[in-house]
Amino acid sequence: MKIIISFLITITFMFASDATIEVIKKVDSLPSLAIEDASTSYDDTFRNRFFKSLVADLNVLSIFNVERAHRKVNYDASSVLVENKDMNYVLRYKLSEDDSRALNLELKLISQEKIIFNKNYKVNNTNVYMFVSHTIAYDINKFMGEAPVEWMKRKVIFSRMVDPQKSELVIADYTLTYQHVVVKGGFNIFPKWANKEQTAFYYSSLDEKVPTLKYVDIKTGKSSVIKSSDGMMICSDVNDDGSKLLLTMAPQGQPDIYLYDVKTKSTKKLTTFGGIDVGAQFLGSDSIVFVSDRLGYPNIFSKNLSTGSVEQMVYYGKSNAACSVFGQYIVYKARESSESFGDNTFNLHLISMGTDFIRRLTAVGVNEFPRFSVDGDAIIFIKNYKSQSSIGIIRVNHNKNYLFPLKYGKVQSMDW
Amino acid sequence: MKSIVISSAIVALLVLSGCGDKDPKVDDSGIDSSVSQEVVQDPSTQEAVQTETVSSSEAEVMSDVASQETETQAMMRVEKELLSIYFDFDKFNVRSDMQGNLSTDADIAKTKAKDFSIKLEGNCDEWGSDEYNFALGLKRSNTVKMALVAEGVDASRITMVSFGESNPVCSDKTRECWAKNRRVDFKLLP
Repeated sequence: MKIIISFLITITFMFASDATIEVIKKVDSLPSLAIEDASTSYDDTFRNRFFKSLVADLNVLSIFNVERAHRKVNYDASSVLVENKDMNYVLRYKLSEDDSRALNLELKLISQEKIIFNKNYKVNNTNVYMFVSHTIAYDINKFMGEAPVEWMKRKVIFSRMVDPQKSELVIADYTLTYQHVVVKGGFNIFPKWANKEQTAFYYSSLDEKVPTLKYVDIKTGKSSVIKSSDGMMICSDVNDDGSKLLLTMAPQGQPDIYLYDVKTKSTKKLTTFGGIDVGAQFLGSDSIVFVSDRLGYPNIFSKNLSTGSVEQMVYYGKSNAACSVFGQYIVYKARESSESFGDNTFNLHLISMGTDFIRRLTAVGVNEFPRFSVDGDAIIFIKNYKSQSSIGIIRVNHNKNYLFPLKYGKVQSMDW
Repeated sequence: MKSIVISSAIVALLVLSGCGDKDPKVDDSGIDSSVSQEVVQDPSTQEAVQTETVSSSEAEVMSDVASQETETQAMMRVEKELLSIYFDFDKFNVRSDMQGNLSTDADIAKTKAKDFSIKLEGNCDEWGSDEYNFALGLKRSNTVKMALVAEGVDASRITMVSFGESNPVCSDKTRECWAKNRRVDFKLLP
C-alpha cells in the first residue's frame, strides 16, 4: 500500500512540474509589491521612465502583483508610505548621479517593516539604465528563491526589415527599450549569437553574388566571411561551446542541413532528403531537431547522428515550420488555417517529449520564430498582428505572455 | 442719369485701356524670346557657327558613352522582357498557366540574353519569416532553373537566391498582392 501511495505521489509531482500543463488562477495568490521612488537626481521624465521599466521587469517576473502607482519618498524614511502599509513587499530605490556622471542606485526591499534585501548598482552610461532595472529584477527574483531568469540580463539580436531587400541588425535588451544598430545598410538577415557570452555573432548577407555567412566580433567590430553557398546560407544553431554550427545551405539548389566545425572549417552534410530540410538545432550531443517537408508538409523531426534514424516529433498541426528545443520540451509554430487568400493564424505550441501533452501558448496573429532562453525558463518569439511587429516573451511556468512592440519596421528573425 | 452712364462708360474705358496696356508687354517679351529661339533653330546659322570640329571630337566621346549605355541598357531591356513566374500558396511546382511564361523566358535566355548570367530570385508571401519560407523561395527558384536547363539553358549560367518574404513587390493585405509576391524574378548579370 505504501509503495502504491508513494508511486502515486511521485507521479503527481512528475506531472506537477510539467510545463505543458497550464497554471490557471495563480495571479490571485501572488504577494503584493509596491515601489517607492526616493531619487535625488535626474528630471521627472527620466525618473518616470526608470520607474516604468522597473515595474515592467518586476511584472515579467510573474511572482508579484506589482502596484503601478509612482510614489515618492525619502530614502531614509523609517517606515513605508501609508498607502503601502498593506503591501507584502515594498521596494525602495534612490537614483543619484555622481561627479563622474555615472548613474548610482541604492535599493532596499522591505517586508513587515524590516529590510530583507539591499544592494547598490552603478552604471557609467545613463542610456543603458534599463539594464540596471533588469538586473534588479534578476536579483529580487533570485532572492525570492525562484528559478533563475538569466535571460533577463541577456541581449537580443534581431534583423529589422525597413524596406524590400533592406534590413538592419539591431542589438537590444529583451524589452527593446535599448536598441543599437550594429549592421546598417544592405540586406542582412538571420543573426545568431556566436557564443554564450554574446561577444560575437553570425549573420547571412544577401548583398553578395551568392548568400554569404559572416562573423562579427562586437568588441573589435571586425567582420569576416565564414562561408558562401548558392541559394541559401543560414546559421541555424550554435552549440554550447561555440565550436560547432548547424547550417542550412543549398549548393545545388537543394536546402539541406550541414554541420560546420569552427576550428577545422570542415562541413559535413547531415540530411539528404530531396525536399526541404532546414532550421536544425542541437538536441543533446548526438541528435538534431529540424524542419522538413518529407511528409508533404512542413513538420518537426529529429535525427540521431550516430544511427542516422529519423523520427517525427510532432503529431499535431497541419504545417509546423519552426521550432526550438530545450531539454525535453519543443516549442513549435503551427499554421492554424490555410487560407491562400486571407489572413492566416500561426500559433506557438509547447510539447513535452516525455508526455503527450500539448499546450497552445498564443491565440491570435502570426506568432513565429520561437526561441527558448538559455535556461529554458522563457520563450521569446516574434508576433505580427494588425501591421504591428512585436517581440513576445512567454513565461512558460507562470502561464504569462508579454509583448514589446517595435516602433518601426518588421522583425525578420532574432536570437537571444 | 446721363452723367452716370457717361462717367461709368469712361471708367470702363479706362479700366479696359489699362488692361490693354499690360497685355502687349507680356506679348512683347514672348515675341522677343521666340525670335531669339528662331535664330538658334535656323539651320543656316547653326552651320555657319564653327561646330563641326567640336562635334567630331565630341562624337567620339559620345559614341563611347552611347555604346556603354546600350550594353547595360540592352541588358536591362532584355531583363524587362523576362517574365516572372508565379506560384500557388505553399507550392513550388510550376503552374500550367505559367508554362507559357517559362518557354518565353527560356527562349530569351538562349537568344537575346545568351551573353549574360541569370540570377533567379525566389520570393514568398508574408506568411512566415523563418528558414522554411526561405527554403520554399529557393525551391521555386530551383524549379525554374530545372525548367530552363531542360529547355537547353546552360546550368552554369544560372545562380539562385531566396529572399523569403523580405522582398515584396506589393505590401497590401489583398489576395492579388499575396499572389504577386509568390514569384521567381529574373535578374541578368554581366
